[in-house]
Amino acid sequence: MEEHKTVNFMRLLSDDSTHSTVSSDSCEYYQTEIFDLLPSIQASRPEQSRKPSEAYQDGPVPGEESVSGHLSSGPRDKAPTQPLRNMVICIQGKRSARERRKMQISESWRRSQSINRKRVWAQIGGALSGLLPWQHTLHAIEGRFGVGVKAYFVFLRYLVHLNLLHCVLICGFILGPTIFYGSSKSSEPLKFGGNDSVLDFFLGSGYLDRSPVFYGFYTRGSLNMQCLNTPLLYLAGILTILFLSLILVVRRTTVGYKHTWMLGKRYSMNVSYKIFCGWDFTIQDPAAAALKHSFIRNDLKLFLEEQSFSRREAQRTLGQRVRLYLLRFFLNLLVLALLGGAFYLIYFATKTSQDVIGHHWLVSLVLEYLPPIAISFINLLLPHIFRKISSFEDYSFTMQVNATLVRSIFLKLASLGIYLFFIFKTTKKPHAVQCLENLFGREMYKLCIFNFLTAFCNAFFLNYPRKLLHEKYPSSFLARLWGKQRFLVPFNVLDLVYSQTVSWVGVFYCPLLPLIEAVTLMATFYIQKFSVLRCCVAEQRMFRGSSSSVLFHFMLLLGLLMAAATLGLNLYQPEGTHMSSCGPFGNGQSVFNVTGVCVDSLPGPAQSTLRYLASSAFALPLILAEILILTSYVSRGRANQKAIERLKEMLVMSSSDKRFLVKQHTTMLRRQRNPCRVRPATIEENQPLTPSHEN
Amino acid sequence: MGTTASQLGKDMLSEYQELTFLTKQEILLAHKRFTELLTKDEKDLPNNRVPMERILTLPELKSNPFRKRICNVFSTSEYKDGGLTFEDFLDLLSAFSDSATLEIKSHYAFRIFDFDDDGTLDCGDLEKLVNCLTGETDDTRLTPEEMRQLINNILEESDIDKDGTVNLSEFQHVISRSPDFVSSFKIVL
Repeated sequence: MEEHKTVNFMRLLSDDSTHSTVSSDSCEYYQTEIFDLLPSIQASRPEQSRKPSEAYQDGPVPGEESVSGHLSSGPRDKAPTQPLRNMVICIQGKRSARERRKMQISESWRRSQSINRKRVWAQIGGALSGLLPWQHTLHAIEGRFGVGVKAYFVFLRYLVHLNLLHCVLICGFILGPTIFYGSSKSSEPLKFGGNDSVLDFFLGSGYLDRSPVFYGFYTRGSLNMQCLNTPLLYLAGILTILFLSLILVVRRTTVGYKHTWMLGKRYSMNVSYKIFCGWDFTIQDPAAAALKHSFIRNDLKLFLEEQSFSRREAQRTLGQRVRLYLLRFFLNLLVLALLGGAFYLIYFATKTSQDVIGHHWLVSLVLEYLPPIAISFINLLLPHIFRKISSFEDYSFTMQVNATLVRSIFLKLASLGIYLFFIFKTTKKPHAVQCLENLFGREMYKLCIFNFLTAFCNAFFLNYPRKLLHEKYPSSFLARLWGKQRFLVPFNVLDLVYSQTVSWVGVFYCPLLPLIEAVTLMATFYIQKFSVLRCCVAEQRMFRGSSSSVLFHFMLLLGLLMAAATLGLNLYQPEGTHMSSCGPFGNGQSVFNVTGVCVDSLPGPAQSTLRYLASSAFALPLILAEILILTSYVSRGRANQKAIERLKEMLVMSSSDKRFLVKQHTTMLRRQRNPCRVRPATIEENQPLTPSHEN
Repeated sequence: MGTTASQLGKDMLSEYQELTFLTKQEILLAHKRFTELLTKDEKDLPNNRVPMERILTLPELKSNPFRKRICNVFSTSEYKDGGLTFEDFLDLLSAFSDSATLEIKSHYAFRIFDFDDDGTLDCGDLEKLVNCLTGETDDTRLTPEEMRQLINNILEESDIDKDGTVNLSEFQHVISRSPDFVSSFKIVL
């Protein structure tokens, strides 16, 4: 019933609007005189109403008084403590507003105090944000490539900060105590010599193997209390790092997710959002502006295309649909086959790299690096193949990008996982003297170094020559084949996530890995800056800043979970099969032994509390409580949803009332002013309004 | 009001700091940039109004498709010619500064997009807005059919009270859901 009414009204309105273009006499309801006097309109433009505009020129002069009187009681001034600069008026207006406020002298001192306080805070905040590195670079990149590429660099900076934080924790928990209370055995100075060579820095063997970089260095020292000893501190440090990362990443993800969710399908604000927030006002470069124009145009066209695509999709016949699904099925099989092949390649590389003895040093270096090379090669090649494959699947464009991205994420994380699995399996064989953890850490170290080397080579030996080629011989076959270079944000972010995951996985075995990671990330920043600013043209398709950052952090979360799972699996190995001979947990001690000893030394109540917290009896109430809280939130959300729906309906009704009244008023006014000139059409047109509204 | 052209008094500076979102350095920089726009004989006069054409030569505004609207919105000129005094200029920078609130920014964005100054975004405003975004020339514009489809989509989404136009609160409703807006609605000297 109500819907019928609104529809009816809409039709009338559209009739009117077509009519209004024909005759200048009747106009849109918001162009009438009384519309400007409506309180809601007054509140939204306080400044204009103060100016002597055309509407008031023939009106009575006291109108102005009443307007400003209305203003002061209007919504703008309802919070008199609101800072003046938060008011939407010009500076002169703010001055007079301040004069008005100064009447209340008792308030003014307090306010000036609060202003001073706020100013100090603002200065501190400004100074702090000035401390953030690369602000200027980010600004320049944003100006030329837009928010999406900047989001990548902000993400990179965030990772650098995260790794620096890890370094601080490592220093506090692991490195510091070891230096002060190190065991006498390891206190002999580390010397670079003997069999060591520079190659060791790439392989992580020899000199580095004995250095604090790896797990084996941290043996039990003189700090040997029951609850304060090197193994416990080591464990605490690593766990703190993982937990802290979890909290930070989850926080970032949820903040971003909230925004995306709000933007999502539920409220379907996509186009309006593209239009109203489309322009990036930070752009200064005319070329960048032209680029942005084309971004927006392409984006809008893409949207319209997708809309018609979904319409076309709905019209597909059964035969077409069956054929399409078959095609997709085969393409997915192909993807699976590719993945399987990739995993086999990794397995093969891992196996080959295990027996490296008795070769020339260069060959052995290559062999040592075979698994990282294989992984990087796969990660470099397959995403592009996936991109090609998904273009055959007849998805909409966004869906294509997402499908490629999901497959690439799976590929990256799974290839790392497979690699870890094979290392575990192959290193199980009891090596005589070597420290298994060091061996594992060394693999991670190599992966980390190799990642960086790939980024370096990619920038200077692939992208830069390609750009030069394109500049020098723009018409050559190769240049045309390759096309212009784009900065593919998702794939680059995947690289970052991958290297961060490696760092998390390896931090237990190679405690200085965060430091290495931080340094390489900083270098990566400059490399990528070079490659973006020098080699790339901006992408045709706009990459949204906010939604992408959720995706970035979500991938990071996946990586973190994988790292935690690896660590957990590695620690929770059945006794006997895995007995490390080195590091903090050497001499037959396991993580459980050490913590058990510590717990036993605690006083009774604390002991029983800890035992209870660790038992399954505690898990049940915890889960129950979580379920209860979740349920209450969900139901509250549903109630709010209903309220929103109802309020929307009310809004539609009241606005149609307003429109009706304004129209009616205008017609009556006009009829009064010039009774002879009223067109019969206007009256007729308004007549059907009355019954439709009254029933 | 005594904006003597050559330098800013200390009390003026602190007043501007109170009334705008700008820091001291930003105000000084703005003053420097603004006096550069003045001609020689104008520099001695207090309270100058720089005509819109000269304001638009600023590199920060030069490639902005909404530059004329921005000048018109922030101008307090009686002739509606878009000329800006120094205080109008500070108003502009304040609204576009890093620390301005979402409400301020969205309000001014609405005024900028409201090309005919009638307090609502109707079909004509939206069409102009889209043209500004995609580029003004004939080959960069959307076709009339596409434009119609697009505007229908916009109104369907954001015109909550179904009156055929987008008013300020509906506009702010859309804006408040877009986290990117605050970071992109920004002009920093």
